[in-house]
Formats: sequence, structure tokens, C-alpha cells
Amino acid sequence: MKADLVLDTKGMACPMPIVKAKKALDGLAPGQIMEVQSTDKGSVNDFQAWVKQTKHELLSYKEESGIYKFFVKKI
Amino acid sequence: MSTKVAIIASNGGLFDAYKVFNIATASAATDAEVAIFFTFEGLNLIHKQAHHQLPLPAGREQIAEGFKNANIPSIPELVAMAQELGVKIIACQMTMDVMNLKKEDFIDGIEVGGAVTFLDFAKDANVSLTF
Repeated sequence: MKADLVLDTKGMACPMPIVKAKKALDGLAPGQIMEVQSTDKGSVNDFQAWVKQTKHELLSYKEESGIYKFFVKKI
Repeated sequence: MSTKVAIIASNGGLFDAYKVFNIATASAATDAEVAIFFTFEGLNLIHKQAHHQLPLPAGREQIAEGFKNANIPSIPELVAMAQELGVKIIACQMTMDVMNLKKEDFIDGIEVGGAVTFLDFAKDANVSLTF
């Protein structure tokens, strides 16, 4: 999937991936896609809850050798 | 309307600071409106000097290394982030009077208020927490 912005939060602990994601998404236009990379195991549940609360869309997520990748579309 | 999160911080250790500021920054980053009322020992968490060197619980000093290994941000970093995300910080006037503290003794950008200042925010909060 092609993202308009790739945000690297690898190595960061909760709540930093979410905080960084919020700031990054603020800079995007509606319809644009952000890819967040994280190594925080808690981020799998956190990103799902985050999009639910913020009304953005989690297009997909996957795990590749310990790195979680979340594709979030700004609504 | 956005979610409102009302937090009372009444303890002054490093663990307390992380509990307060992790929830506060996570909430604010999730588009919630957040206010924290700092009272009694909780005032340490926003005191200009004290918040740089908050104590660990007695006998748990070795945990300092754990924070470093897990790449946990420092409390001053989390405080700055909370403020950047719009978290409202209210210092308890009454405790400040008791402890002879002035607004200048605290980090910039705080409000000073009484219990009712906080209650006015908290009365229709969706989430209320005390640490």
C-alpha cells in the first residue's frame, strides 16, 4: 500500500506512537494515508482504539519480523 | 462533542507522574479534552525543579534502569508534550498557600485555581481519574 507519509516510531514506548501519530496526521489532508511503524506490542490494540475514537480509518495493519505497520486514512 | 477526561494528581513520585502524564497525553492525542488538577504532593509533578528529579518508591531504585532500557520519555518531555497537545494544568491554590509556593515556582503555562475550577471542568467529564 502506498502511503503519503511514513512515520517511524520503532523503539518508542506507549504512549509515544499514538502521540506522534496524532501530530503527523494533523499535518495531512483528508483522504491521505499515513503508515505508522511501531515495535510496541501494545500498539496493535491501541491503534484500533485510536481510530475508533478519532474517527479515522485503519485500512490495514500487518506485522513483519517484529515491526507493526498500520495504514491510517485521514477522514 | 469530544470526550472529556478529568484527572486529579495528588501524589508526587516518579511512578505517579508516569501514570498521570501517560494517560493525559494518550487522551489528548485521541482528541479528548483533558484537565489535570494538581494538589498536595501532586504539585511536585509540575514544580520547576522537582519534576526533573522525582523520587522512585523506596527500595525500587533499580527500576530507573528499566525506564532507560524501555526507552521511556522523561517526565519533563511528557509534560511538554501534554501542554503542546492542549492539556489544561491546574495547580491547587490552597495547597500552594499551605506550602508557600508561588505560580513562578511551577512550569510555564499553568493555571492556578481552587476545587471549583476543577469541578466546573469535571462535572460533565466522560472519564474521571485520581492518581
